[in-house]
Amino acid sequence: MLSRVADSLYWMSRYMERSDSILRMLRINYAYSQDDIPEFTWQAALKIFSFQKDEEISKIERNGREVLHYMVLEKENPNAVFNLITQSRENARSVQDHITKELWQCLNEFYHLMREQRLAASLKTEDPMSVLDGLIKQGMLYYGTVEITMARSEGFYYMNVGKYLERAMQAVNILDVKFSEQDYNLDGTHDPIYWRYLLLSISGYELFLRSYRSTLEPRNIIDQIIWNENFPRSILYAVIRLQRAFEKLDMDPQLESFQKLTFLIGKLKSHVQFSDMQTLETEGLHNYLQNLKNELFHIGTAFNHYYFAYD
Amino acid sequence: MDSSSLLNQYPITSEVWDEMCAAGQVRAPYNNVYEFLKEISPEDLTRKEEMARRLFMNQGITFTVYSSGEGIEKIFPFDVIPRIITAIEWDFIEKGIKQRLKALNLFLKDVYHQQFILKDGIIPIEMIYSCPHYLREMHELNVPHDVYVHIAGIDIIRDADGQFYVLEDNLRTPSGVSYMLENREITKRIFPDLLPQNYVRTVMQYPQLLYKNLASLSPRHIANPNIVLLTPGIYNSAYFEHTTLARLMGIELVEGRDLVVHNHRVYTKTTGGLQQVDVIYRRVDDEFLDPLVFNPNGLLGVAGLMSAYRKGNVAIVNAPGNGVADDKAIYTFVPAMIRYYLNEEPILKNVPTYQLNNPEERQHVFDNMANMVIKKTNESGGYGMLIGSAATEKEMEDFKAAILNNPREFIAQPIISLSSAPCYLNGRLQPRRIDLRPFALCGPNGIEIVPGGLTRVALREGSLVVNSSQGGGSKDTWILSK
Repeated sequence: MLSRVADSLYWMSRYMERSDSILRMLRINYAYSQDDIPEFTWQAALKIFSFQKDEEISKIERNGREVLHYMVLEKENPNAVFNLITQSRENARSVQDHITKELWQCLNEFYHLMREQRLAASLKTEDPMSVLDGLIKQGMLYYGTVEITMARSEGFYYMNVGKYLERAMQAVNILDVKFSEQDYNLDGTHDPIYWRYLLLSISGYELFLRSYRSTLEPRNIIDQIIWNENFPRSILYAVIRLQRAFEKLDMDPQLESFQKLTFLIGKLKSHVQFSDMQTLETEGLHNYLQNLKNELFHIGTAFNHYYFAYD
Repeated sequence: MDSSSLLNQYPITSEVWDEMCAAGQVRAPYNNVYEFLKEISPEDLTRKEEMARRLFMNQGITFTVYSSGEGIEKIFPFDVIPRIITAIEWDFIEKGIKQRLKALNLFLKDVYHQQFILKDGIIPIEMIYSCPHYLREMHELNVPHDVYVHIAGIDIIRDADGQFYVLEDNLRTPSGVSYMLENREITKRIFPDLLPQNYVRTVMQYPQLLYKNLASLSPRHIANPNIVLLTPGIYNSAYFEHTTLARLMGIELVEGRDLVVHNHRVYTKTTGGLQQVDVIYRRVDDEFLDPLVFNPNGLLGVAGLMSAYRKGNVAIVNAPGNGVADDKAIYTFVPAMIRYYLNEEPILKNVPTYQLNNPEERQHVFDNMANMVIKKTNESGGYGMLIGSAATEKEMEDFKAAILNNPREFIAQPIISLSSAPCYLNGRLQPRRIDLRPFALCGPNGIEIVPGGLTRVALREGSLVVNSSQGGGSKDTWILSK
């Protein structure tokens, strides 16, 4: 497969995963902001998911509608869903002969939906939750289309590498946002509504109730989001899938590129797998998350260097 | 639609040949379509038109216009009413194009080798050396099977007398074939069952024919030669066509940056290392193919490509340097080429053309400028054109000055009254001017023409310019088998 094509498939997939995470994050934060929280602020979310300067953030952090506009439609914001979808579709456009026609049409429709005037208006005046739900659904259509139409060949596995790398990164981000609001205190707020929304946003609420029954306690939340292997949005799940997708690429084991990536991914996996609540308490949650972020970043760079570099 | 309104409001004049109507009567090949239009309500037809628009949009059959930093997707306007060509007419066109291409191919081989046609004085030598598309780099370079023009789009028009003429030969990288294929797919959806009822010949085989020809050019005799389609990239207006063709043929779509030349061989850069390329179907202009040989600032091609080509390690389709044969000034000599190389009379006529570096012809053109079309010999896409009947005094004077400055750069033709065909615009049938571009494929075993083509429409009322860059649209083109 052409390096450029692998690169485009990888980024198409990463951007889609990222837009899904951001839409879900916006949805919970917005829902939570409606729950009579007098000092609710979007500061943490904006800090992690946008590249705004602090003074810019402080201008809009208490205005939910403006934040939504900024994160969904603002063309100046590289992480706005609008730009993510546009990028994803541009990538798809340049590799149309490597994805199915259905997948291309699905992304293309999503793109045209994002450009509709109506979307901006309804995000401003109507119920934002329904608008966000509509967009999330469009994203799920993408996942389904990939699942049932794409051949299981090299391109598909590069898409999976991108998807799971991004998902692991976003899981780290979500934990980071939510716990930074609590000063990374593992024994902090027990406000059940706060944690409930977090779990709902990543479709983990039902699983949580089944696994932990009782209280919405921060330690249980962390346990599920980092270590629950059966939870498709946990860090461990994403890392295991990342490793599997990489193995499926079926590269020559003699090559330096293969050995380097095998090492980096294996190291990350054991780092996650062989740590526990105790590790967090000694390292501190913030440091632990920061280390994971760095490792994920290194893996991304290594793919770029060894597999996608064609210039 | 009420039948009286359908035809009564359809204005035709005797100065223009209308494809559907003659003297208030519907021509026989259009009967079925006409009956269909009579039955359907304007609302339904408008709905079908809307459906066609949406199908094009969602499938990404668009070209992008860049303004104020963001791309705006536009669809190439499509008119739902098909253009019909009878079996007899097609037979004539097909024979004419085959004959013409055969001569043009021989001309290219000759002009890049012994140049008999110049030595025999059939074409003045300065016409060749003054052509910017004549490539010295192609001299004495032997191309596989002596085929230069693998894919040709010959633009054909019909004058008021009902005769077909060749308006232009496109022998470099003619585009539009994807619209021939997609327009047919859309027609299947909006006019169910009408195609088989009319015995319309299929165009589906085009990608396979092209693939077969490309594969036959491979320098390595292996079962699965590595064939790639070289595109300038997603910002090119014909990018949709490039992806469509690559997908339909199952070949890799590459950009210049995906390729590298090593030891006079071309390779693709893949995740598994370098892979040798055998055939390049390029949609990049000559000028940008190889920065070492042509434009040194070109980033769309591959450094060293021409050396690999010269060594015979890779085939390039179409061959570089074909521009010398479709230059608008050389066009005048195509009938002479047919007589010279084939000893035959041309089947398809040329539009009469005046050479402006001949003082007598130039004077004649200047005296009759209001009835002339003046074209730059090296421009395409409807740019650099003056239509005498629609030009102002000032524009004419400007053109005269430019012509006197460099007469070789211009030709003049009497204004040809392109035939018209019915279009569904603003809720009613209106005649609009059309042309026809069939696509011919030349392989080692001869020339094949898929029965169909791209019918382009000048959607603006009274306009004679069908180019998409000048507000043109397209129609599905039906070639009937009986």
